[in-house]
Amino acid sequence: MLYDLRHADLRLKWLVTCLLATFGLAYCFGAWMVGRYAGFGPRQVAQTYAGPPMRMAMPPDTTVVVEHPLTMGQMAAEDHHVVDIDLLVQDTHVHVPMYGVIAALLSLVVLGLSLSRGAGFALITLLFAAPWLDFAGMWLVKLVSPGFAILTVAGGWAMGAGYTIVTVIAVGQMWFGWKGAA
Amino acid sequence: MSRIFCGALAALLLHVTPTVELVKRVDAVRQMFPAADAWTERELHLSDPDAHRLHEALDWSPEDGVLRFYTGRHAGAPVGALVFVRVDTPHGPLEVAVGFRTDRSVASVVVTKATVETKPWVLTAVRAGLCDHYKGMKAGTVPQAAEQIRDAAGDLPTYMATQVDKGVQRALVAYSEFYK
Repeated sequence: MLYDLRHADLRLKWLVTCLLATFGLAYCFGAWMVGRYAGFGPRQVAQTYAGPPMRMAMPPDTTVVVEHPLTMGQMAAEDHHVVDIDLLVQDTHVHVPMYGVIAALLSLVVLGLSLSRGAGFALITLLFAAPWLDFAGMWLVKLVSPGFAILTVAGGWAMGAGYTIVTVIAVGQMWFGWKGAA
Repeated sequence: MSRIFCGALAALLLHVTPTVELVKRVDAVRQMFPAADAWTERELHLSDPDAHRLHEALDWSPEDGVLRFYTGRHAGAPVGALVFVRVDTPHGPLEVAVGFRTDRSVASVVVTKATVETKPWVLTAVRAGLCDHYKGMKAGTVPQAAEQIRDAAGDLPTYMATQVDKGVQRALVAYSEFYK
């Protein structure tokens, strides 16, 4: 294949490096935002996207008063950021096209790497599967069961893993003369 | 499923912007009653007649038919109580925390949530001194703090202030009727 980042023009190598660095910065802030608003574990993700459990009980015959002690920690937990369906529609509308563009650009970098065809296919699949898993998890938590939060967690880690693998191999092959597998 | 479809359609048509937290609930609580060292949550699961009475008075029903009051205590003695009230505006939800002293007057009001779109209007209203006008109000008062900031704040902040008025009104009635 003619497009080989190991032997590419210095300007192209620099472009790819800048692109990866910019994505890296965006991912760092993405992780920070996830930490602030959702969390990295399935329980926090489920709490964020499932929302409070629906109460279907009939109103009591007389008003019932229940009182219990509450710590500040419990009060903070009650106030956990919850993504309702309106916000999830908006998030999906905004994020999915951008995730697609990011996955496509990283895939273009993958095409310029010296990798076996199988590794190339696997990496491109990982790059596109990650956002699918991420948003599929959010919607399934919202519509089906909180147990699907694991998909969102897996999607998030897959996104980070895909970016890291591409960046490490690309920087290694472009700047440190790593030999490829292809 | 139709609820989900309608929600999605409404979000697309109205393009309600995401909710933003202006003040964390715990920070609002600490700000209102700094002396409190213990808290209890009092949940009132309203009966049909009580829910109807509240609805008749305010054209409002609390979420899931449950009113939640938080009582602060210092060394075992009550120092006050507060309630968080959500107001659904055409521009998205707004949340107001209303604290009451033990003499049953309003201790303070904090706007805890708005939306990306309404945040600047709400902040302008708050900076114009909106929340100061609620202090000392008791049951039976109809809050009209919005009108008092109109000249200083402008139209859109005043509009959001009328929504805060509405939230405080709900808190006043709910507290006087149900927090005994």
